Amino acid sequence: MIKITPEELKTITKYIHDICGIHLDASKKYLLETRLSAIAEENGCGNYQELYLKAKRDARKTIEKQIIDAISTNETLFFRDTGPFELLQHKILPELIDARTPRSALMKTPIRIWSAASSTGQEIYSISIVLKELLGDTSKYSIKLLGTDISESAVTQASTGKYNKFEIERGLARDKLTKYFTMTGGFWKIKDEIRAMVNFRKLNLMLPFSGLGKFDIVFCRNVAIYFTLEDRKKLFNKIADTLEPDGYLIIGSTESLTGICPRFVPKRHLRSIFYQLK
Amino acid sequence: MTMSILVADDDPVIRRLFEKRLQDAGYTVKVAVDGIEAAGYLDRSHFDVIITDLVMPGDIGGIELLQIAKERDVLTEVIVITAHSSIDTAVAAMKKGASDYLEKPVNFDELFFRLDKIAQLRSLVRNADDLRNAMDVTESSAAQTIQDLEIAAAGFQLKLDRIDDILRKSSLSDYERIDKALQVINE
Repeated sequence: MIKITPEELKTITKYIHDICGIHLDASKKYLLETRLSAIAEENGCGNYQELYLKAKRDARKTIEKQIIDAISTNETLFFRDTGPFELLQHKILPELIDARTPRSALMKTPIRIWSAASSTGQEIYSISIVLKELLGDTSKYSIKLLGTDISESAVTQASTGKYNKFEIERGLARDKLTKYFTMTGGFWKIKDEIRAMVNFRKLNLMLPFSGLGKFDIVFCRNVAIYFTLEDRKKLFNKIADTLEPDGYLIIGSTESLTGICPRFVPKRHLRSIFYQLK
Repeated sequence: MTMSILVADDDPVIRRLFEKRLQDAGYTVKVAVDGIEAAGYLDRSHFDVIITDLVMPGDIGGIELLQIAKERDVLTEVIVITAHSSIDTAVAAMKKGASDYLEKPVNFDELFFRLDKIAQLRSLVRNADDLRNAMDVTESSAAQTIQDLEIAAAGFQLKLDRIDDILRKSSLSDYERIDKALQVINE
């Protein structure tokens, strides 16, 4: 494994912050070495300074993508932490449908949900399973589900909707597994009816959100924890702009918006919290 | 932790050999005369590893037993035993989720080596599970604390906003403003 020098540590952590917003301090030296060493070697670089320069010069951004994939954490599960999904099913969706159902039976009820750091898709697919379970026949609704992530390979895996036994077994009840997935070639694949409900695209949360539109519900869980306080403030301010005035924001169960975005007020339902605009 | 192993083979000599060698090596062993009996055992007990002959009389051969075992518990590891002539079938079994295959006659050193690998893998998986469980406990306890703080902070913010409003009211005298602000604080 190639060792990182203190100067390189500064250069690389600043570079990583610039390309994806993830803030790493000097204590993450070992993490950087374990995750970036192979990328350096693969690209014929003997040290991290070389890797940095090569990545900056690379017009196709191949190395940049490799670094983002290596640094961004993809650890996620179906129905990770049941709280938000129970909140969605028992509180938010019924309220939202009440508020959004048009007077005319000819018009469809719009439901727009965004999973801002969708990783390999488990969260947004869990949301679509909740929708399917709650609504049954979805033809009366105009459902738009969007999953975005900084990592291109995560977006690709999310789009294929294929998971191995380790990725799937925890969190997902057996009945839901057999109802919404099919076993093919040793992998569990999400069924087309669920897959078709969701769109995925690559998005850097640090950059302006262009062409995203407005959402009724935004999930932004366990991603801002990797950002600096300043970047968090900017992020949640931009999220507030994408949310409908009566929309809902769900953040990670150990996250807080106190001192981060005064535009949101926390509301408690049973054992979970959600946020709405003031 | 001792691994429990189910052996399915219709040859009584091989069955006895497996039973003895595996027991001597410290494993908990159950033997079945064919796939049907093995499937019956799977109904009643859990096994960490299944070692099965690919070709057995009756409706349940090695491949079928593999599928039944994986349906019961995806984490059960299956090693298939095959004659040299049927390597293709063994590869097909691997594609269906078998963790390994061994050729006849079985080399026990090789088998023990594979079992050690499986034991190591299982211990890593268990370790990861333990860590995740510990993380879940820490996380849910932290989440409750953070929720309480979040709601409390929002409540204080609301009070501060009201006090701010009161203190800016030019229609009130200084005393009235202080009095009303104190009322909000003491609510």
